[in-house]
Amino acid sequence: MPVITVKDLHKSYGNIEILKGIDLDISKGEVVVVIGPSGSGKSTFLRCLNLLEQPTSGEIRFEGQSITAPKHDINATREKMGMVFQNFNLFPHKTVGQNIMIAPLTVKKQSASEVEVIANKLLDTVGLSDKKDVFPNQLSGGQKQRIAIARALAMQPHVMLFDEPTSALDPEMVGEVLEVMKKLAHEGMTMVIVTHEMGFAREVGDRILFMDEGRIMEQGTPEEVFNNPKNIRTKEFLSKVL
Amino acid sequence: MKKITRIIVFLLSAVILLTTGLIPASAQEATTTVNKKLILGTSAEFAPYEFHKRIDGKDQIVGFDISIAKEIAKDMGAELIIEDMGFDSLLSALQSGRVDMVISGMTPTEERRQSIDFSDNYYMARQVMIVRAEDKDKFLTMKDFENEKISVQKGSIQEEIGQTIQGAQLTALDKIPDVVLQLQTKRVNAIIVEDTVAEGYIDSETVIADASPADSESYAAIGIKKGKVELQAAINDTLARLKSEGAIDQMVKDASILAAKVESGNILTTAWEYRNYYIKGIGFTLLLSALGVLFGFIIGLFIAILRMTNIRIVKWLGTAYVEVLRGTPMLVQLMIIHYGVALTLGVNFSPLQSGIITLSINSSAYLAEIFRAGIQGVDRGQMEAARSLGMNRITAMRHIVLPQAFKAVLPAIGNEFITIIKESSIISVIGMADIMYQAGVVKNITYQGLSPFIIAAAIYFVLTFTLSKLLNALERKLSASDNR
Repeated sequence: MPVITVKDLHKSYGNIEILKGIDLDISKGEVVVVIGPSGSGKSTFLRCLNLLEQPTSGEIRFEGQSITAPKHDINATREKMGMVFQNFNLFPHKTVGQNIMIAPLTVKKQSASEVEVIANKLLDTVGLSDKKDVFPNQLSGGQKQRIAIARALAMQPHVMLFDEPTSALDPEMVGEVLEVMKKLAHEGMTMVIVTHEMGFAREVGDRILFMDEGRIMEQGTPEEVFNNPKNIRTKEFLSKVL
Repeated sequence: MKKITRIIVFLLSAVILLTTGLIPASAQEATTTVNKKLILGTSAEFAPYEFHKRIDGKDQIVGFDISIAKEIAKDMGAELIIEDMGFDSLLSALQSGRVDMVISGMTPTEERRQSIDFSDNYYMARQVMIVRAEDKDKFLTMKDFENEKISVQKGSIQEEIGQTIQGAQLTALDKIPDVVLQLQTKRVNAIIVEDTVAEGYIDSETVIADASPADSESYAAIGIKKGKVELQAAINDTLARLKSEGAIDQMVKDASILAAKVESGNILTTAWEYRNYYIKGIGFTLLLSALGVLFGFIIGLFIAILRMTNIRIVKWLGTAYVEVLRGTPMLVQLMIIHYGVALTLGVNFSPLQSGIITLSINSSAYLAEIFRAGIQGVDRGQMEAARSLGMNRITAMRHIVLPQAFKAVLPAIGNEFITIIKESSIISVIGMADIMYQAGVVKNITYQGLSPFIIAAAIYFVLTFTLSKLLNALERKLSASDNR
């Protein structure tokens, strides 16, 4: 059974239709990378998956449950879907440690000692154990994004969503973030990543989705999409970015 | 959340304790401790009827009306409690049951008889015109006062007389000393007062004019709430006794002598002499402002959240609350809470309670807007990040958005506190013994028109200036930890 199933997903803002019917299955442990030109609806699609954007029509199922059903408790689903944002969105009034621990403490009501152990382990994973007690404004962009990943992982999600995680970073900091994401992929995390890092997409992605004008134009393995694109739009796009 | 609830409960109970404990200190005086109480309403700016005087270093309300009231209380075996308020407020205070009787040199006019009952007359007075000494020759007949600028006490018999003078431009003020001040400062050229009162004010500068209003005898009687027949009878008995003893004439004489004792001194000696008044006033002003802002903070936060919900009717209610409170004068709000609520719902708040309620709801409207701006100023991504972690809206607000919003609006909250310190002076009109009220008391005792208010202004300035400097320092400290 797929972890995420998307059926005929549409999203409009007023008269402008951003998503024009998306169908997709994502299996457990799969790393799906979404590429495409700006304005193609990639981010909107990703944000629909945890309902940060409310779809106009269509259905999204997560682990067998319809999360677009009117009575569905989205908060419970979001606990299992971590999200990493382009602009990090760390909580500036909390220390790094508190950023990581706040959700398990307030949402899952885990004990402080339990959460402390999780936080220490995650800080070690992202290589920032020494930053536990500093505030986010003292971190570099790359460090901030690694903490944001740790914060999402602290909820022990089943799926991780990445919305252009390296787009706001200086080039020399992109590597450290991608490194953490690679490690996650190797550990078998189910991931949906919107990115412009084609090299990373090719290396880590199990499947590449090419989106344009609110539709999935083409999808396949990295070899199929990058080496042998069939859709003319895909070819055009890749010729510009590669 | 539990902690916050506990703090609120604690504060509420503290306020209730404070306000109930402080009522006698605000503007009332207790004489003896007898169970039965007789509450006297009076406007103690009407020497020699009733006025403030420092006796043995303590401010007291004295005058022949007060002497009569004490006799009535004595005959009834009751404890006399004096409530000092504006003359205009006396009728509604009586009607709302805030006071049992009104003795304030009040004339039993037909108009007043519509709303309250009166005792037998206890005193007769004539009305006189007071002018500046240099103008004495200009005003020989009542015709000379036509088209002149004249000042009178608001709501008084003199105001009615003034209205009969053709073309007269009347300035009606609450308090007699202010009326006299109008004449002294040449804002008006004549004032109409009672002969008894005039005695206290005539000197080399201000004199009684030769002309005086015809048929201007007026009587003073004691006001009683309609239908209180027993109280009326008891009062009339005491008055009859005093008249037969000739005691009232003696009381008038004593009071006139007491009132004529004018104190002198420069502003610094006045400030020092009456420091205890001002210190007490500072205490009340700070208490009022602090509690006003505190409750305004809690209510304002609530309103701000109402205004940001998606339920249209709730949103509308929040908006209406803010707009109405910001669009009406605080003085009007105060009158509605202090007198309106008492008259219609029978709930009598003490001046301190009314003051705190008014300041709280007034500042809550402004603080609600400050909070709304603060909350909306927090980056949208913060809410999204919190929600993406599984937090519900309330948890996200509480742990993520509000703490950041508070930090951002702290300076604005401080400014609101400063504003409230100044605006709280309005509460003095209902007899709240704050700085402004104390300045008025000192003015009435010393007959100095300027110094008591300069002192009050200086105190207000020192309070607000110090506070704004402290806030600036705090702001700098906060923004220092914010540098990126």
